[in-house]
Amino acid sequence: MIPLTIETDIVFWICGPLMVAGAFGLVLFRKAVYSALSMAFVMVNLAALYAAMGAPLLAAAQIIVYTGAIMMLFLFVLMLVGVDRADSLVETIKGQRVWTALAAIGVAGLIIAGIGHVAAASAGLDSANEAYGGNVQGLAAMLFNRYVFPFELTSALLITAAVGAMVLAQHARLTPKKTQAERAAERMEAYATAGVHPGALPNSGVIARHNSIATPALLPDGSISGESVSEVLLGRGAIVDTPALSALTAANFAGVAAELEGEEPPVPPALDTGPKPASLEGATPADTAELAPESGASDAAVEDEEESK
Amino acid sequence: MNIADPTFEWFALSPVLAVLAAACLGVLAEAFLPQKPRYYAQLALAEIGLLGGFALLVWNWSAAAVSASGAPQAVTGAKLAMGALVFDPPSYLFWGALLVFGALAVAVFGERAMTGATAFAASVSAIPGSQAEADAIAAKREHTEVFPLALFSLTGMMVFGSAGDLLTMFVALEVMSLPLYLLSGMGRRRRLFSQEAALKYFLLGSFASAFFLFGMALLYGYSGSFDFAVIDTSLATSEMNRGILLAGLGLMAVGLLFKMGVVPFQSWVPDVYAGAPTPVTGFMAICTKLAAAAGLARVFFVALGGERWSWQPVFAVLAIATMAVGVILALSQTDLKRLLAYSAISHAGFLLTAVVGAYQFVPEGQLNSLGAIFYYLVAYGFATIPAFAIITTLRDTSGGEATDLAKWSGLGKSNPLLAGIFSLLLLSFAGIPLTAGFIGKWAVFAAAWQGGFWWLAITGIGFSLVAAYVYIKVIVAMFFGEPAEGVQLGQASMLTWLPISLGAIGTLWLGLFPAQLMDLIAQAQVFVK
Amino acid sequence: MNPDLVLWLAAILFGIGALGLMTRRNALVAFMCVELMLNAANLVLVTMSNVHGGLDGQVAAFFVMVVAAAEVTVGLSIIVMVYRSRRSTSVDAANLLKQ
Repeated sequence: MIPLTIETDIVFWICGPLMVAGAFGLVLFRKAVYSALSMAFVMVNLAALYAAMGAPLLAAAQIIVYTGAIMMLFLFVLMLVGVDRADSLVETIKGQRVWTALAAIGVAGLIIAGIGHVAAASAGLDSANEAYGGNVQGLAAMLFNRYVFPFELTSALLITAAVGAMVLAQHARLTPKKTQAERAAERMEAYATAGVHPGALPNSGVIARHNSIATPALLPDGSISGESVSEVLLGRGAIVDTPALSALTAANFAGVAAELEGEEPPVPPALDTGPKPASLEGATPADTAELAPESGASDAAVEDEEESK
Repeated sequence: MNIADPTFEWFALSPVLAVLAAACLGVLAEAFLPQKPRYYAQLALAEIGLLGGFALLVWNWSAAAVSASGAPQAVTGAKLAMGALVFDPPSYLFWGALLVFGALAVAVFGERAMTGATAFAASVSAIPGSQAEADAIAAKREHTEVFPLALFSLTGMMVFGSAGDLLTMFVALEVMSLPLYLLSGMGRRRRLFSQEAALKYFLLGSFASAFFLFGMALLYGYSGSFDFAVIDTSLATSEMNRGILLAGLGLMAVGLLFKMGVVPFQSWVPDVYAGAPTPVTGFMAICTKLAAAAGLARVFFVALGGERWSWQPVFAVLAIATMAVGVILALSQTDLKRLLAYSAISHAGFLLTAVVGAYQFVPEGQLNSLGAIFYYLVAYGFATIPAFAIITTLRDTSGGEATDLAKWSGLGKSNPLLAGIFSLLLLSFAGIPLTAGFIGKWAVFAAAWQGGFWWLAITGIGFSLVAAYVYIKVIVAMFFGEPAEGVQLGQASMLTWLPISLGAIGTLWLGLFPAQLMDLIAQAQVFVK
Repeated sequence: MNPDLVLWLAAILFGIGALGLMTRRNALVAFMCVELMLNAANLVLVTMSNVHGGLDGQVAAFFVMVVAAAEVTVGLSIIVMVYRSRRSTSVDAANLLKQ
């Protein structure tokens, strides 16, 4: 293992404050994803500190196991349970936050006061590392000799974790899985009896500036097709207001046509006439400005939009 | 590089390995056996593992009690598995108690005669109230993983109480806790309660293990080793700042006292005891306490015994607070499971008085602090497992357990036998003479007194008198109250009746003839460093 | 280097973790705070390993990582189970057991 040549002190003074900042981020960010990323940031800095403190194996394990596996597991679960909800800041117990903060400062203060001054200078790891020819070898010698029993005992821990995750998450299938033929027959029957469209659902809308899955497709009469976007997005109301966009386009087009005929261009309607859903990337005032027919370039955009309809 | 081969004392390790092997075989059985015979295989495997482990332990003891020439000798201790475990006389005691109480508690896990199913959810992953759950119940699915999980937990408990170093202890702490978090969340009825109990237990439990770990790291910093014996010698020789020792001691105490359910770390106990499936509550109530008490005693008597002047006063205050909270809050409970949970908190306080005494070197044949703790726990175990088993037998009209205290009114008229046994157990909890609980209370208070904490012993006696009122109130309701409407006794099988009857016999026996067990304990109550 | 500073850093991180666990409502974030506390303990172990010139502390830190991985698996599956039942990971929503 190549020894890290930077002075430990320098690494400490860089990583230490960053770690404290990351830890505060973990506690203070309202969004759980930001908290998780702050935590990962703390862990990476900790790995750097380990490397500087003569623990190369732990530095690698910190990155691979902690940051790479454990934090990513957290992120997976965060994605599963919904990331867009910020934590409520309402205190359920009055004054709890102040008291807790005081208690935590007290705990940390007591520990720091207790640690005080260690009184012993670092003995360094050189002799311990040399005994078996290196840090990793030295750790292996302890792991497979002195600490072999707890090492084997961790297998019980890992089996418990695997069994537990399976018990809590796996749902045994009680009815046989439907074959493709049965599914097709069901679709056709639904079509015959209830008139449900048997084919695939329509795509989401592809319009000049918007082709995200949050953009509903427009039906020939100009209304949106609810089937063209995911039910989840519809439920959240997180879709782009396509009719408003197309109304703007139509107005622009009318304006261009009128200009060609030599008349004064009518003022384009304001975007927020209809009920505007809380959109992911909905039309903003900036969009409105860009869509205003002022130059040839925007004319081209208008034409594009027209074509896409 | 050449790593020396580790040596294992297989025969001495065999009680732990038997339980661990039964757990691993149980996981395999889960994977390969068809659904119908799985339940029977798992139950049999668990009981064989636990009773087999107990047989191996007795064999070990009888082999160690005879010298090479055939003459009887005192059992001494040995370090096992490269020093990770200490197989000293107290280890025999605690392992034996864990295996016996584990076998009784796991038998209650298997009870399904009363409702046609075990106390565990048909499908834990199905959302409560959903079609999937109804389907799983109709298909008579059941989670037989509970047996291996309980065995893993017991493995951890056995190692926890006999660990030779802090690192093994930390790993064992997690091995014993993780299955308990899972088991608490698997209740069949009132599933939201059960899941909430699991979440609460898990968050607070991992919080406590973080404290334990930080304390352990500081103790390592002070002494340069995880080994209890080395920590003990370093108390006098270390050149480190003593503040590190005190901070480490305090943080480790938080982690250990949490597992015991001592105030101010008791808040999880009522919620988890009430929310978890009742058989699991019985299992946790005694086995976790046994392991936690053994671990607490080992850390504070063996490793930190030389520092006792700094922890005894704090523990004395905590013991009084624990007894007070347990007893006073139990007075106002209307739910039987919660009442027994608060009673468990008060018992943790009574136990702690003996720890505070730290009375170790005694005349031949008397109980020291550790012996008193052990006697108390055996008495508590013989009362608490059947008590929770009896709670499972009274059912309301929907088939769920009737834990409301009002529903137990008048039970003495409809079923005098069951009500009589339950009264006996409650009297043992209260510490009334002629029951095991009385001898246990007498032993712990005597240990505190001998250790110089006479005022603590007197306070404890006061609280146990107040606590008696709680239990007698229940007994009076059972025998003199109007019979409650809408409840009936389930037709329990031997799996419930065996622990109930054995527990009742044990409670009476230890109350009337305590000498035998006391003699055994007196031979085996000194830790080996 | 001076081990005092690293130990103080570890104590600060531990305190911040404890603070977060007690104030944050989201069970996931609360659990991450526990992880922060475990990391702080690991930092103490590695530092003390340096001070004493023995590798026990590093081995212990290695064990803590294994234990944390298993604990996270169990913890997250419990959190997901609770979330599926009540569509919330807030510890305040879990109040059925309050008297």
